[in-house]
Amino acid sequence: MSDRAPSLSMLPHDDAERGSRSDSTVWARGWSRSWPPLLAIVIAGAIWQIVVWTGWRPTYVLPGPAVVFRSTIDLLTDPQFLSAMTTTATRAIVGFTLSVAIGTAIGLAVSRSRILRSAIGSLITGLQTMPSIAWFPFAILLFALSEQAITFVVVLGAAPSIANGVVSGIDDVPPALVRVAQVLGAKGLTLYRQVMIPAALPSYVAGLKQGWAFAWRSLMAGELLVIIASRPSLGAELQFAREFADAPGLLATMLVILIIGVIVDTVFSRIANGVRRRRGMSVVRL
Amino acid sequence: MITTTSTAVRIDGVSKRFPGRRGQSTLALSPVSLDIADGEFLCILGRSGCGKSTLLNLIAGLEQPSTGTIDLGGRRVGVMFQDANLFPWLTVDGNIRLALSLSGFPAADRRARIDELLATVELSGHGDSRPHELSGGMRQRVALARTLAQDCQVLLMDEPFAALDAITRDVMHAETERIAAERSLTVVFVTHNVREAARLADRVVIMRPGPGRIGSISPIDIVRPRRMEDPAVSESAAMLSDRLHHHDIEPGDE
Repeated sequence: MSDRAPSLSMLPHDDAERGSRSDSTVWARGWSRSWPPLLAIVIAGAIWQIVVWTGWRPTYVLPGPAVVFRSTIDLLTDPQFLSAMTTTATRAIVGFTLSVAIGTAIGLAVSRSRILRSAIGSLITGLQTMPSIAWFPFAILLFALSEQAITFVVVLGAAPSIANGVVSGIDDVPPALVRVAQVLGAKGLTLYRQVMIPAALPSYVAGLKQGWAFAWRSLMAGELLVIIASRPSLGAELQFAREFADAPGLLATMLVILIIGVIVDTVFSRIANGVRRRRGMSVVRL
Repeated sequence: MITTTSTAVRIDGVSKRFPGRRGQSTLALSPVSLDIADGEFLCILGRSGCGKSTLLNLIAGLEQPSTGTIDLGGRRVGVMFQDANLFPWLTVDGNIRLALSLSGFPAADRRARIDELLATVELSGHGDSRPHELSGGMRQRVALARTLAQDCQVLLMDEPFAALDAITRDVMHAETERIAAERSLTVVFVTHNVREAARLADRVVIMRPGPGRIGSISPIDIVRPRRMEDPAVSESAAMLSDRLHHHDIEPGDE
């Protein structure tokens, strides 16, 4: 058939391209992707160094990038700092996992029920605008200075974004797709499981990514306020560094917090773009 | 060619009224009666707003008639639209597999059935492709395979090739004609393209707007397989075109 011949050659072209990708093109591609952020980092470091050189603040308050970099290396080999990182990572994982469970459940319930939607639909969006740090005094009253207080606020920070991702994902499923599914005999729970939820996946992953960002911010706010004795955490390290006027340690800890946030965010972006690419949707640059 | 036979779809006094704003309602379709024979290729031809898609949706069961009845005698219907509307998160195989699973086709036999359906629409070897990697014509083929996966006896098509280029459309006409004959399908094909109707139909129902109703019914007795370029097809198209425009200027029209 006449439209088949050209189309046959259209598909394998993708594979051919993948097969012919040699080592040098991998390097070229990696380099073309990594030089702009590397350059940005170099420029930021240079500006930082220039500010230090101007003597605007004494170096024991504002150390230069080289000192902070050395201090970061020291921290990453310090067992106490590593245990602080472990505590923080554990809290992040527990809080985010709970947020995913709660946010997803609420999102699904709201998207399915008109009454629930009118009852709490706008409340969910409202909660997103609430700065999570504003929850802490109340959380501390409820749970004292404890892990629960931190988890409570992390979940309140992250779950609304995740729930919103589910709701808007399901709301935005093209009606034509739903009609086709119905014509094919999908209804009720089957329609939901086989069509609505997979169709909503890109929006859900975007919600997870945003939820992670909120969880990480809430967690840092929480660790600064809720310092539990004998349990070092990244937030507590920041506070200690300030109290001991250890500027390099303070900046190094901030750097570690930033890097962890960026790494996890990159993972989510990768997942989101993978989902989008498979559907032929435009891929959002990191 | 119909040599026949029993009725596949019996439409009896069917009308459709849509509720409008401020309590007013519009009559999209005034009472229509029509029998469609088993194995017949029926084209519904008309301008936009003449109720042809409404009639198709009523036969499909996507809408309920305001009056009258539609009797399919227990036949299964499959529907195809202008857009393929493939599920973008599934491969070609996955799209067909989902249709099979939704119609309760036994899981063990699905693989073989998918291959057979892909062969039918001449897409063997494309099972692992994603919808966005396919051309418009190929996407419509997958949509056709997905519809056939339901093992329907009545195939309803709502301007399925309107978005395709002319060359691809010719190919799809031949494919549709062949598949309908092979599977003895009853086809109801909605179009606003006069030549397409003359090319495909055993009978052409011309519909008129304001409110939607049947204007005329014309048998097209041209031997198959046909080609768009056949003089007989052009002649029938001219005849249909005359009928379409002849009564155009009458009270109630525009």
